[in-house]
Amino acid sequence: MSRRSFLAGSAALVALGVAGCAPSSSPSGGGGGVTLRFYEQKQEVIAYFDELLRRFEKERPGITVVHDSTVAIAPQFVRNEPADVGCFNDNLELARYIKRGVLGDLSDLPSAQTVRTDIGELTDQYATYPGRTSVLPYSLAAAGVIYNKRIFAEHELPVPETWSQFVDVCDELVSAGITPIYATDRDTWTLWQGLFDYSVGSLVAPGEFFARLKELGTDVGPDSEVSFEKDFAVPMERAKTISSYFNKDHAVRAYADGNLAFGKGEAAMYLQGPWALSQIALVDPDLEIGTFALPVSENPEDRQARVNIDLGLWIPTASTHQDEARELVEFLMRPDILNAYNADNLAYSTLKDAPPQQDERLAGLQDYVDRAAFYQGAGTFVPTSIPLGNYLQSAIRSGNFQGMLRQLDADWRRLAGREATV
Amino acid sequence: MHRTNWPLTILLGLATLTVFVPLYVTLSMAFKTSAQSADGNAFSLPAPFNPASFAEAWSLTRFPVSFGISLAVAAIAVLLTLFLSSLAAYAIARNWDRRFFRWSMIYLLAALFLPFPVVALPQIQLTALTGLDNPLGVGILHAMFQLSFSVLLYTAYLRSIPIELEESARIDGASTWQIFWRIILPLLGPMNATVGIFAFLASWNDFMMPSLIMSDPTLQTLPVVQNIFQSQFGTNYNVAFASYLMAMAPSIIAYLFAQRWVISGVTQGAVKS
Repeated sequence: MSRRSFLAGSAALVALGVAGCAPSSSPSGGGGGVTLRFYEQKQEVIAYFDELLRRFEKERPGITVVHDSTVAIAPQFVRNEPADVGCFNDNLELARYIKRGVLGDLSDLPSAQTVRTDIGELTDQYATYPGRTSVLPYSLAAAGVIYNKRIFAEHELPVPETWSQFVDVCDELVSAGITPIYATDRDTWTLWQGLFDYSVGSLVAPGEFFARLKELGTDVGPDSEVSFEKDFAVPMERAKTISSYFNKDHAVRAYADGNLAFGKGEAAMYLQGPWALSQIALVDPDLEIGTFALPVSENPEDRQARVNIDLGLWIPTASTHQDEARELVEFLMRPDILNAYNADNLAYSTLKDAPPQQDERLAGLQDYVDRAAFYQGAGTFVPTSIPLGNYLQSAIRSGNFQGMLRQLDADWRRLAGREATV
Repeated sequence: MHRTNWPLTILLGLATLTVFVPLYVTLSMAFKTSAQSADGNAFSLPAPFNPASFAEAWSLTRFPVSFGISLAVAAIAVLLTLFLSSLAAYAIARNWDRRFFRWSMIYLLAALFLPFPVVALPQIQLTALTGLDNPLGVGILHAMFQLSFSVLLYTAYLRSIPIELEESARIDGASTWQIFWRIILPLLGPMNATVGIFAFLASWNDFMMPSLIMSDPTLQTLPVVQNIFQSQFGTNYNVAFASYLMAMAPSIIAYLFAQRWVISGVTQGAVKS
């Protein structure tokens, strides 16, 4: 008796399971219309893209678009149901999908020809798939040193154009009793994003450096053609000097503390990107802020801005609605829509002949973006299995940046060795 | 003789602060304006008083929908956990002398050492294959992960239930199934409450499993939807805390109602010896 009841119970459960899957497997009903899934999870602009999708639905009757803003990107690929169109940060995580060829070729789209080639090439620095343009850059974020214009004006300080001018500015701020740079070591990403990337970027081109480092693989060491220890020695001397101008409590401060302190005018400079501006504006909307590229050499021409492709569009090969997905990409890539998005969200357009970013706080970097005098941060090329942020914490504490570089070389060798066996 | 133990009372008073201080911050933050919530003064009272965050959180999270789904997932998890683990524990506790049941216990307990992230990817694939990449699947998985701990609690408790009760029922002609439903399950009362509360909290507060397993973003649970208030680059404090407060309410209410069952022991002295 008991066994029969148990069987009946489990049969009921299975039936429930089958019933439960019914709604999820038939989302494209409703009179022959097509439902697309659009994946975009950058929190600040979810509402913005929602509006764009509603506009697309109006212009293109018959297509419904569902906005998927799930945090993790992997599950949808694991269950082989990726969103039809993705809009994601171009980084090492996305690179894995590009490299394995799960993102389709977009080079034959008309809009692919309108993208600036020097920006398009940036995506190739992380990964490529032979013969494909897997990602169309949508939004370019440029970062530099954010500075408090009022403090600079009060002490008659110029915007530094060379390394020695930068050190002079810092020294004068110190003697005036002002914290030159606010750092937030507790959030380790702020360390590699600011201190590490800015110190390296204008001296060593990260794209080329890491391409050669990848070729060397397990041969990276003190005597190899390129290595962290050799090529990053001068940049890390700069970083060491810069870190001596940090606020005293930098070790225990987090990103949110930094935005608050800088917003209150407690420091003159802040090594952060445009994403911090809206947070600072919450504290003081009227604060006069400017941005400049950190000079790390004596030649002003060497200065470059740190950029990253904040959003790029892609269509997975597994999407069953390729044509409709392409229509959506074409819609989003329209100059009026793409340029408006970037103008509204403190970023730069990726298209040829695009209007400049009007926001005063970012005006200082426009010229670098126009000239393509930019680099993708060195820290973004370091896989998360190497705890770069924590290494930087201890290097700042001990002052031993050279030891950190040796450690990075050793980690790189170890990782290359492991990947070779996979 | 009733005497107040002052040192212990003071110690407990201090301990309650660890709950009340964060609760106070949550409450005051929820009623602040965006500007005041970002001024770095977490302990200040809201001025001006701004209840608008609740409305914003309500619409941003589609609160009734995600709340309902969270509740459904938790309900599936709790019912399934109670049902499966009490049955398993009863079978194991009463057949302890047989090797198969001892090994079953060890097998179930082994799952305690298996954290979800380790099996996440195969779980995602399996749920997708079986059409369980929806709230129902998450509820079932929650129950599965709750199983080992609950069976452990039940078996320990079942050992304290005198076998004589069952023997007398059997003499009266009850089958094993009847004994379980009519005698054992009611006697498990306090343990049902404990297991149920653990299962409810684990399911209600879980972020990772629903975020990975569920394929339809419109069916996500409350904790996952609430993630929109927070990113690496910025936090929308007042709206986030208003929403957290609304999400916390059911857990607190559920505990208020169930706590007396958690603590009381019902079976003591049920049998004359």
